[in-house]
Amino acid sequence: MGILTCRVALSVCALAAIGSAHAAEWELALDVRAVSSDGRESFLENGQGKFRFDEDHQGIQLGRLRAAWQQPLGEVFSAHVEASAWGGADKNPVDLTEAFLEYRPYPRAGIRTRLRLGAFYPPMSLENRALGWETPYTITPSAISSWIGEEIRTVGLEAQVDWLGTRLGHHFDLQITAAAFGWNDPAGTMLAVHGFAFHDRQTTLFGRVGAPQPNLGLAKKELLHEIDGRPGFYVGAQARYLDRAVLNLLHYDNHADPTAREPSIRDFSWLTKFDAAALRMETGNGWTALLQALDGSTFIAPGGFWLGWKFDSQSALLAKRRGAHMLAARYDWFNVEFQGDPAASGSEDGHACALAYSYDTGKRWRLALEWLRVKSAVPARVALLGEPALATETKLEFSARYSLSGAY
Amino acid sequence: MGSNALPGSTGSWSDMARIAKTSWFHWMNAAGFVSLAISVASAHAGSFAVTVKQHNARPLIGAVVTLEAQSPAQPPAPPVKAIMDQVNLAFVPDLLVIPVHSSVQFPNSDTISHQVYSFSSARKFQLPLYRGKPYPPVMFDEPGVVTLGCNIHDNMLAYILVTAAPFFGHTDANGAWAVPNLPPGKYRVRIWHPLLNEPQDLEREIEVGAEHEAIEMRLARDLRPAPLTGRPRSWEY
Repeated sequence: MGILTCRVALSVCALAAIGSAHAAEWELALDVRAVSSDGRESFLENGQGKFRFDEDHQGIQLGRLRAAWQQPLGEVFSAHVEASAWGGADKNPVDLTEAFLEYRPYPRAGIRTRLRLGAFYPPMSLENRALGWETPYTITPSAISSWIGEEIRTVGLEAQVDWLGTRLGHHFDLQITAAAFGWNDPAGTMLAVHGFAFHDRQTTLFGRVGAPQPNLGLAKKELLHEIDGRPGFYVGAQARYLDRAVLNLLHYDNHADPTAREPSIRDFSWLTKFDAAALRMETGNGWTALLQALDGSTFIAPGGFWLGWKFDSQSALLAKRRGAHMLAARYDWFNVEFQGDPAASGSEDGHACALAYSYDTGKRWRLALEWLRVKSAVPARVALLGEPALATETKLEFSARYSLSGAY
Repeated sequence: MGSNALPGSTGSWSDMARIAKTSWFHWMNAAGFVSLAISVASAHAGSFAVTVKQHNARPLIGAVVTLEAQSPAQPPAPPVKAIMDQVNLAFVPDLLVIPVHSSVQFPNSDTISHQVYSFSSARKFQLPLYRGKPYPPVMFDEPGVVTLGCNIHDNMLAYILVTAAPFFGHTDANGAWAVPNLPPGKYRVRIWHPLLNEPQDLEREIEVGAEHEAIEMRLARDLRPAPLTGRPRSWEY
């Protein structure tokens, strides 16, 4: 994925020099955690644990060090870059999670078009609505958003058309989205390797997931690669009722050739398709209800022998905000089925419950406390690690985030 | 109404209780009376009062009332110079009522850029508002409702109501608005509020003589929900 992103980054820098007459905006945020966890060995260590911070990674931890930069380039173009350090052993101590150019002309007659070129998230999470693609409701996002942050990134071109009905006196706004992308052929690997996980660590554009253990072919995965030369696509639609309710639908298909393999990263081209739906409703007295669903499949066909994993997850969140205080509760269900056999190594079944309190004045500090319990049955634990298939993992995590922002 | 600059007032239609208390609200009512003093020449002036009620019979606070002269014709209120600022990712105030041929200046008090636009038929325009960059005022020569948005921050929303009426104002905490000295004649009373959900325009014809004319107008439907407020700045739309 490197070459295209490097070119995009260089173009961004060149255009930034041209557009420097307009104020650039920047943000810096440091998020430090205090963690108490009985999690099994983390998937980041090639284990079958569901957490980023496992039993061996408790105490004070770096949550995220984040730097973001937006540069207007004339009136309708802008460049956006998100860089983060997540701690732990990764290839690059600081790396990009998103970098794109945006074209956003003024709306005419209620219609606005928008183009994004570069690397960014598809518009599907109504949960991760805060800056840096973070969730404001909890510290750890749902299984669905955790997976998106881990494996899915659009590296390509996306077009959106908005009908701004609320600006025309109607109650609704509508949006349709379509994108063509590459460099997402390994998407699906992690679902097959460790299933769903619960973590806020977003895979960086040039980074890796997993520890460098040479005996496991699936260790140290580089997830943003073009393998088969076939572009993928997604299409989506969003409807908003005033600013109270949002319904988001997305169909994703990376259109990968499952027979293709890339020896340099020891990975296949995973044919991954999914449908995602999300509904978020907010009331005037601070309540938020958020429902999410994901349903999809991923295939590889080494030597023409097809191996398939079906996956699905659902999530329900209820939050109540009062001033700077917010309480949130979330329940997640998740399931992966290898070759139609729920008992096969490669299948899993589980559910999770999260409770969180956060304090956010909207200024520099945000404090959050989260309790998360994940129960999962993973047959691979027996086959690979000699552990019982069933595990209950619990984590108590405190987050203190300090943010600075400005313009120059 | 005078030609002095409108003070940077802080009324918000999204908080109707607050509207009644703002200096903007009092200023606009006072402005109506100034206009009245200029226009009234008849010794046989009448008076007019309207009370606007919601569908649930509660008073509709902060509704815009315009009184358009049908016969005899009367000129619009004199134009004003108004200001609509951008503060903390919001238009301040988020509702302005101005006579036709008035101008509005759009400063940007935020440290970040905004892009103000309107594609309303009464006035189409777009302004890139970079920090500290003054921009010439925008003229509003056509009556109508102008809906404003920011192209960068989709949850920013404001309205400018441009009127050719000689008399206008806002309903108070009791949903009431009154003009004490009104030249006799036929008028059309129009009610407007950003959250109106009515199947048709809320208006009524009245005839004012030398006596006091009082009417009550009631909404046929409930108001739309007011925009959500108070979300932390780090939340995107």
